[in-house]
Amino acid sequence: MALSLTLALKDMRHDWQSALCFVAALVGVLAPLLIILALKNGIIGTMVGRLIDDPNNRQLIAVGAGSHTPAFFDEMRARDDVAFIVPATRSINTVANALRNRNPRALERAVPLIPTGPGDPLLPDIPLTEGQAVASDTLREQLSLEIGSTVEMVIGRELDSQSQTARADLTVTGFVPPDLYGRAALFISLPDLLAVERFRDDASVTPETWRNPAPFDRYASFRIYAKSLDDLRPLQIYLEEQGVQVRPRAENATLLLLFRKNLNILYAAVAVIAALGFWAAMAANLRGMVERQRIAFSLLTLLGLPEAQRRLIPILQSTTLVILGVAATLVLVLPAIALINLGFATAPGQFIARLSMLDIAATLTLGLITALTASIWAVAAIGNIHSEEVLRHA
Amino acid sequence: MGGQVVHIRNLGVRLGPELAVIVEAMDMSAGDVVVLDAESGAGKSTALGLIAGAIPASAFDGTVHCLSNTEITPHAPRLDYGSPDRIGFVLQTNILLPYLTALENIRLPVEIAGQTLDTAWLTHLLGALGLSGLEYRKPTEISVGQRQRVAIARALLGRPDLLLLDEPVSALDPGNVGQVEALIEVLAEDAKSAVILASHQAARGAFAGARRAHHRVEQRDGVTHSIFAMETV
Repeated sequence: MALSLTLALKDMRHDWQSALCFVAALVGVLAPLLIILALKNGIIGTMVGRLIDDPNNRQLIAVGAGSHTPAFFDEMRARDDVAFIVPATRSINTVANALRNRNPRALERAVPLIPTGPGDPLLPDIPLTEGQAVASDTLREQLSLEIGSTVEMVIGRELDSQSQTARADLTVTGFVPPDLYGRAALFISLPDLLAVERFRDDASVTPETWRNPAPFDRYASFRIYAKSLDDLRPLQIYLEEQGVQVRPRAENATLLLLFRKNLNILYAAVAVIAALGFWAAMAANLRGMVERQRIAFSLLTLLGLPEAQRRLIPILQSTTLVILGVAATLVLVLPAIALINLGFATAPGQFIARLSMLDIAATLTLGLITALTASIWAVAAIGNIHSEEVLRHA
Repeated sequence: MGGQVVHIRNLGVRLGPELAVIVEAMDMSAGDVVVLDAESGAGKSTALGLIAGAIPASAFDGTVHCLSNTEITPHAPRLDYGSPDRIGFVLQTNILLPYLTALENIRLPVEIAGQTLDTAWLTHLLGALGLSGLEYRKPTEISVGQRQRVAIARALLGRPDLLLLDEPVSALDPGNVGQVEALIEVLAEDAKSAVILASHQAARGAFAGARRAHHRVEQRDGVTHSIFAMETV
């Protein structure tokens, strides 16, 4: 191995112009591919990153009213592709007749009540149990709320042509940022929401007893979020197979994912075509090298260099050339990527072009695989070079 | 056969349907010198290749092929019988590896065989062959005559039992032929090598007095047989 490596390297150094041409050819193929890959990673990655950062893009909205049992929710919570699910009593939001902040005095009428629970992606790390609430940022402004404020929730009903009102004080434990939820709404626990619904629907529930509702055995709707954007489509398909109609909250997320997938396929196709072209060029180049060195290989046979070590020479040369080619490519491409990012600066932490260590490792691995497979023709040719050729080379 | 360097009977190769080259009988001990003296095209280089085991022999009746008491079989690894301490081969065309220096070319067979380098002998060879100062030059940076002397040093560095010389001075200008032949003779003697020289101009020079292997041509069943043979010793 050591002697083969010495001979391979000395031969390349001697014929350095051929080696340089080969490395230049590899850089010519690889550099544009890596820059395209970096742009694909950067632009699409940034767009997908923005989508991932917004949990609303992972929400599936139930279409129409259904009839979902507690077992359905248990099953959905157990799925790997579900980040969060909470039952809802109606296909549209339940509405509080009014919400009031006593200090300072402020009142807002007809405010949507949204069921929530532990793990809600819109309320990360905000604790919430019965008697507590999280307000949207818009509602915070309208009612001048702060964390720890008490909101009086007013629920009204008509019973025998008489108006009845139930009231509950809820402690505000946090706020939903405006970029996650833009309108006025109050996020409350499921038991509190069920209490509101029972009070409105069940005449036996009085304004004095309404806060202790029995659980529902059927729910008309739900709020559900997939664990990742990639889980969105499979989860939608699964629910529709179960007869539950849903649609993604953000259709553009699905379209972008589809675009990303198609772009990946397109890039892979371009890369494969380029790799095949380079593979053919490399195989021909190595085979040509063996032919040019035919008498030298015959002499090595006469001098007793074992066949395995002779066959190793083109393999070592091709792998060395590929390593040099990849290194030269990176020397050119990495500064180019830095310049691109400098010239098209986006938000901090976001890049127009990006190349990961994994991309570089994959490039090197594919290059080495190309080198090894492309040298097969040359390696086979060496097996047909015998010591007698150098004797007859007069 | 004790101490015998070469013991050959009926070793031959068919070169197409109409020609065969055969070494009919050859026995040599250390220090023996034999000249294959025949006209160009008689198959002298082929005979040397056969003897060295570099050309695969065809099947002939009664073939015996022993070098340094080792029988050469068709698929034996070359280093089993052709290591630089057994065979040294000076080619007619003084082929060197173009990407190695003169010194690297000289040392290559010993390195391939993994044998210990005799630096004193190397220094002696370089000095005797006039290669001192040229060690780090590439083959393209030295003259034809110097390349030939590098090839001779490469063949002799392992102190081979058998030194095969294929027209070793054919590329030299006539003024240098006698000097180089004399050098080869002395160095081969220093190395205690048996020498087989293929040459069509050995009637004069350092090997003029050496024993000859007879050459004859026979027609057998429509095939021309070019036969080399020497009296058994």
